[in-house]
Amino acid sequence: MTSARFTRVKGWAPASPLLLVVAVAFGIPAVMLALGAFTVPGAPGEPGTYGLDNVAASLREPYLTKLLTSIELSAVVAVAGALTGTLLAHAVLTSRSAALRESVLSASGVLANFGGVPLAFIWIATLGNSGLVTTSFGLGPGLLYNFWGLALVYLYFSIPLMVLVIAPALEGLRPQWREAAQGSGASVWQFWRHVGLPVLTPALLGGVVLLFGGSFAAYATAAAMVGASVPLVTMQIADALTGNVLVGFENVALALSLDMIVVAMLVMAVYLPLQRRSSRWLR
Amino acid sequence: MTVEFRALRRTYGATTALDGLDLTVAQGELIALLGPSGCGKTTALRCVAGFETPDSGAVLIDGKDVTRVPANRRDAGMVFQSYSLFPNLNARDNVAFGLRVRRRPTAERHARAAELLALVGLPDHGDRFPHQLSGGQQQRVALARALALQPRVLLLDEPLSALDAKVRVTLREEIRRLQLELGITTVFVTHDQEEALSVADRVAVLRAGRLEQVGAPAEIYDRPATPFVAEFVGTMNHVPGRVTGDRVEVFGRSLPVDGTAPGELVDVLIRPEAVLVTPAEDGGALILASSFRGSTARLRVQLADQSEVLADVPGHDAVRLAPGLRVEVGVVERPVLVTARTSGDQEPAVA
Amino acid sequence: MVAVTPQSSARAVAVGGSGWGRRAVLVVAAAYFLVPLVIAISFTVYNEVQGFSLGAYGRIVTSPGFATSFLTSLALAAVTIVLVLVLLLPAMIAVRLGAPGLRPVLETITTLPLIVPPITYVVGISSALREGADALAATPFWATIIAIQDDRFPVVLVLAYVILALPFAYRSLDAGLRAIDVVTLVEAARNLGASWPHLLLRVIMPNLRSALAGAAFLTLALVLGEYTIAALLGYQTFPVWIVTISGNDGQLSVALSILSLVLIWLLLITLSRASGRKKP
Repeated sequence: MTSARFTRVKGWAPASPLLLVVAVAFGIPAVMLALGAFTVPGAPGEPGTYGLDNVAASLREPYLTKLLTSIELSAVVAVAGALTGTLLAHAVLTSRSAALRESVLSASGVLANFGGVPLAFIWIATLGNSGLVTTSFGLGPGLLYNFWGLALVYLYFSIPLMVLVIAPALEGLRPQWREAAQGSGASVWQFWRHVGLPVLTPALLGGVVLLFGGSFAAYATAAAMVGASVPLVTMQIADALTGNVLVGFENVALALSLDMIVVAMLVMAVYLPLQRRSSRWLR
Repeated sequence: MTVEFRALRRTYGATTALDGLDLTVAQGELIALLGPSGCGKTTALRCVAGFETPDSGAVLIDGKDVTRVPANRRDAGMVFQSYSLFPNLNARDNVAFGLRVRRRPTAERHARAAELLALVGLPDHGDRFPHQLSGGQQQRVALARALALQPRVLLLDEPLSALDAKVRVTLREEIRRLQLELGITTVFVTHDQEEALSVADRVAVLRAGRLEQVGAPAEIYDRPATPFVAEFVGTMNHVPGRVTGDRVEVFGRSLPVDGTAPGELVDVLIRPEAVLVTPAEDGGALILASSFRGSTARLRVQLADQSEVLADVPGHDAVRLAPGLRVEVGVVERPVLVTARTSGDQEPAVA
Repeated sequence: MVAVTPQSSARAVAVGGSGWGRRAVLVVAAAYFLVPLVIAISFTVYNEVQGFSLGAYGRIVTSPGFATSFLTSLALAAVTIVLVLVLLLPAMIAVRLGAPGLRPVLETITTLPLIVPPITYVVGISSALREGADALAATPFWATIIAIQDDRFPVVLVLAYVILALPFAYRSLDAGLRAIDVVTLVEAARNLGASWPHLLLRVIMPNLRSALAGAAFLTLALVLGEYTIAALLGYQTFPVWIVTISGNDGQLSVALSILSLVLIWLLLITLSRASGRKKP
């Protein structure tokens, strides 16, 4: 008994520095966030009390719109990005040109990691009010500075991300499966319906989830591009943090953060089991 | 149903996979396409399945030219080397896939799948997914799937090569049993000569896209038509010999030459089991090593001129013929194949 | 931003997809991805007054704060990389050497940072720092809280980046450890009389070279690109400096965008070189 316990403890010992750092650097902020979200500030000089007031407030206007807009934007980008990314990956991977495949995959690696303010600048130069495309084609101002403009810009990193996510799954579709299906009398469409798409589904949904998370968490691009004209929850939180709002809203910002984490966790809860399933299929 | 290859040609860029292949597979026959990798055997099979289109020539099934018929209307069941089961479907649905594509009712699909799974010895595995099956079980399911639509032709593309040795042997026997039971015309592609010889009615040896020899296993083994076949099927000793007329002198004996000799100094091709080894205190040969294989033992014997031959002797003689023993080497009296000399310019071997 | 690297690229199954459909997809994608880039690049090197000029790129280097912020970010990256590897590697080896129960724990703590949006993380951090400073005001720990927020080298950012880098470093190292049989390596080395430090430095690390390089470069890319946390905590790291400096000079800001794109590209190239991926 004692010896089993001893080896167990000894086995975990090398991990203790890591666990300690995670507890301090991640655990403490997480606890503070949760505590703050459930703390109702008292009068000046008085200690706060615990309650659901902040969380309730964060789910009412004007905050609710921002949360919902963020979710909507992320959902639009995730679905559109997943579809176009898959089409692009398929078009590239079935190409005979190895150079095309290599360069698109490398470019996807670069663009999937390209975001933040630099991304906003590049699109402002293109489609902003004095952007080259806007002026050359006489397009009206404000083209980029709305919900759909933001979606267009987010797709710039979302589609490449999807290409990277779906490419291994597409490559995992074995030629034997198509041939076996054909041998059993299936048409191309029947192959995709009964085998191809079901096998890709976990990777597709996994991609949707990743893309959703990427857009949902994005802050800098939107802040630099649209400011407050598209109400997003990340910008509301940032405003509270940098003191751009009335006093007393800080705890609501904490509650909003909690809302975001809950949304992200719900979405992730879909992803993880799916990912496990697809990795089993695509050995 | 017969399958006929007519002057089949297929090239990929600079490499020629099929170079005018002619072959006819008779009704209910199991024919093995045997050859080294790159000899075109898989390409030939894929031309029957419809996954490859030959550059010229034709594939006939039952006398009808199917060269341009798309793969999904060929009516040929195929088993692939490995990993061909649809990973998202369980064994039952894999087997019933062809029926589902044909929109047969569920009850019929399940009944047929159950019947076929029982046939391949997996009656209780219908609910398992491919990743829950062993390699051998996966190939059984793949076989059941290939047979589900009662195809006219069964095509097997190295179906056993990814399996363990033991599973390989049991499964090949089972494939043969099923094939005989169903009487289905079958083309079996393999690079394993033992596999080909043990299951096929006839073996077709391919080399560089051409048919080298086709015949019953015993014929291929005992009377190889060409030195290539002789080398590829089984083990061969190259023993220097000298030709006189239509006979060749080897191991101090004169044997009839099978075919024509390429010159006076030749290599005589002799199977290890045709080499006779007898203990002799003053023998010119020496047993160097012996590896016991149960029913036989393979000896490595050094001849008087320092060259070596392999000899298979009955297992019960293995103790008597131990390494270090001086022996005499002889050869079974029967016609032998000869090739141009490759074993150095020694004089004919004497033992 | 999610750091993701391209996978291998064998030719995929060519199923369906007429030539025209494929070509249309490729043309539209090329237009969408290349037009903004081409416009942005031409914008940085050409204007109607001066004509062609590389001045905008020159101004990057001469802008105040370039060197300081860049060096700050590099230093942060270096310390983060070392810390991430030193913390992760022993734990991951322990998982394979007899603490399999640790694996789900590691999987969880290396997945959480992916779920938690950086902005909510920074909210938690700043609230912890504020409350911590209040609560510890009367104790010696107060000095610690202040010290880790030093502007010149914000330790608090290192801690945050270690957490953010865990998922990527973990996956890179996991792939590396999967490829070598750690148990056999360790048993063989112990059997030959190697000490634990010797074993780690001379046996395991050399076999993990490409996985270590991968983890290091993913971490570097993350630190050089992270904006939200640094900006909201008020530190002038390189990505924050880019935004600060670009303010009114349009050409300069777009030139900086191109620069960061090139930076990512260079990092990825180095990464794929270092991880020794063989081209087919």
